[in-house]
Amino acid sequence: MTADQLAQRSETPERRIKWSYMDHWRSNGPAGPVDQWHSHRTMSSFLKQIKAVGFDAIDTFDFRLWQMYGDYGGPAKYQEMVQDHGLERIVNIFHAADYDLRNYAPHVPETHENILEDFRVTMGHWSSVELDNIIVMPATLYYDMEPVTEDKLKISAELWNKVGEITAGYGVKLTCHHEFFCGIQSEPDIEVFYSYTDPRYVSLFIDTAQHCIASVDPVALYRRHAHRVSGFHFKDTRNVAAGDDHRHRPDSEIMAPTTGKWFYEMGTPHGLVDFEAMMTAVRDNDYRGWISVEHDKANKDGGDYAESTAIARWYAVNVLEKIYR
Amino acid sequence: MRDTLRWAYALNQWNIRMDVFVRHEDQRRALKTLSALGFGHIELAAGTGRWDNLGRPEVIEINHGSPEGFLAFLRSCSVNGVSSMFWDPGQPVEEEGWAFRSTRNRDDHAAIVESAKPFVDFLAAIGAEQLVARPVGSAWMQPPLGRDDIAAIGEVWNSVGKVAAAAGVGLALHYDCLSAVHTADELRRLLDATDPELVGLALDTAELTIGGIDPVAFYEERHERVTHVHLKDTRYADTGEEYRMPGAETTMLRGGAGRRIERWFFELGTEGGLVDVKAFVAALRRHGYPGWVVVESDHGGNPAELAMLNSWYLQQELSVART
Repeated sequence: MTADQLAQRSETPERRIKWSYMDHWRSNGPAGPVDQWHSHRTMSSFLKQIKAVGFDAIDTFDFRLWQMYGDYGGPAKYQEMVQDHGLERIVNIFHAADYDLRNYAPHVPETHENILEDFRVTMGHWSSVELDNIIVMPATLYYDMEPVTEDKLKISAELWNKVGEITAGYGVKLTCHHEFFCGIQSEPDIEVFYSYTDPRYVSLFIDTAQHCIASVDPVALYRRHAHRVSGFHFKDTRNVAAGDDHRHRPDSEIMAPTTGKWFYEMGTPHGLVDFEAMMTAVRDNDYRGWISVEHDKANKDGGDYAESTAIARWYAVNVLEKIYR
Repeated sequence: MRDTLRWAYALNQWNIRMDVFVRHEDQRRALKTLSALGFGHIELAAGTGRWDNLGRPEVIEINHGSPEGFLAFLRSCSVNGVSSMFWDPGQPVEEEGWAFRSTRNRDDHAAIVESAKPFVDFLAAIGAEQLVARPVGSAWMQPPLGRDDIAAIGEVWNSVGKVAAAAGVGLALHYDCLSAVHTADELRRLLDATDPELVGLALDTAELTIGGIDPVAFYEERHERVTHVHLKDTRYADTGEEYRMPGAETTMLRGGAGRRIERWFFELGTEGGLVDVKAFVAALRRHGYPGWVVVESDHGGNPAELAMLNSWYLQQELSVART
């Protein structure tokens, strides 16, 4: 390290927080609206934009695995492309399963072996890259699980304890992300669920908007469970779910009758998430590691992913990093 | 941006027609986007009418109360200030009775100087450095420049430059690819017709390239006159006389010049870009260029996306620190 670099390091306090971007994206090109996986060129453009605005890394969905193999040569090779654009790595993967009651339902014990085998295979596929978390929705769709009973919560918890043991064998945390339309989304049900899970194997992943939509205060939830929170999706919402918003197939984020667009970037006017309180809580609990920014479906109602991503980053730098960085 | 060069970004691409970039929240989103990308200063563009509320000093003041109020608006988005403002005195404006003026017409000179004053005063009040002006109208709209025309054009810009200098503002003449001052020789003659103490050149890398002038070579030749830079790329050059097409703004730049060119201007680092951006920026550094380098998207695509790609290029390919 040169003298200049040493001097610069002494001037710049060590960062406790790094920022990752969960890779929802759309752009318009000659082929119309496409996502970044459309071609190597669109992927390069996406990665440049994420890096340019100051993110350190990306998160992705694990269902991209086969595209990574087909288009880039696998997760490690894809990660090389990520790094070629100046980003550190892939931090988290989101395991978006279909949750078919017949073969993939955490509250249905008969499906557990299938789910466990899924994770044994999945973790092997991803073993070529260093991951912090594999993120799951810990329950089926709400209406496939209701009535939500303590017994169902306990059965689900027992499954995720076993899954977490598998992922821990690969050095990856199993962490649960509670969509407002999943079976475990209310505050009492979340509390019961975690009371049956083993903190060594099951972590909590706070999605600020999802909890707000489900009428759960994400800051209070985080403060109660900070010791087992392994990551965050920082995104905002302007609406709380009403009536049976959480009971729509295939996905209430898309189909809920009251609200066409649920998610907004941090800093949006009329946002319901108190990000300053959230960041204060993160600071108070001395959290160190990654915060992921997400604003899925930002392109709805005339929105634009590129702009939303830049504005979210502006908010992180100009508001949140003044509280804790 | 933290660099030996000073970087700014032009807002013009967001303002594609009179009613799309009016709401202050929309303007804030653009400003925050640029701030997040490391651009602490912006370039404005002159316009007309109440919808174009970043386009004229008096309209800006109606919206923000005063120059200080406008600066406070920018700073609420973590943008520190304004580098410059683009102005075309040949563009008729409602505020001046839609008068059609030409810098080659000496009878228009007094009115042109007068119409520059509000912009100069405004730029001085907000601490901006350059009035960036279109020196002459499009070639297709007028007869070829005669022997005395460039002298006349030089005279009016010397006069505007004197007004600007008195207010502590620089004047930079911006070459564009449709201009009646088109060839390198004509550009040299224009510079020679102006007082170097009062009038500089705004060198636009893509416009020069489209016009058939190598921006690196021209900068090397006349670097002492360059007081402002617009940095952008292009994949195409005028094949000859396309700039003389009737209605060239529409038929050439927007209509594809009969070659189905959908877009002339591109982000830095674009595949097939004709501008040697690295060589140009290296030349700026070598000569200790003191002015603003304004990155422009200029009708290229999604404004936020292009600003992000341009910022990536600055950070990763030109080693400019974002913060």
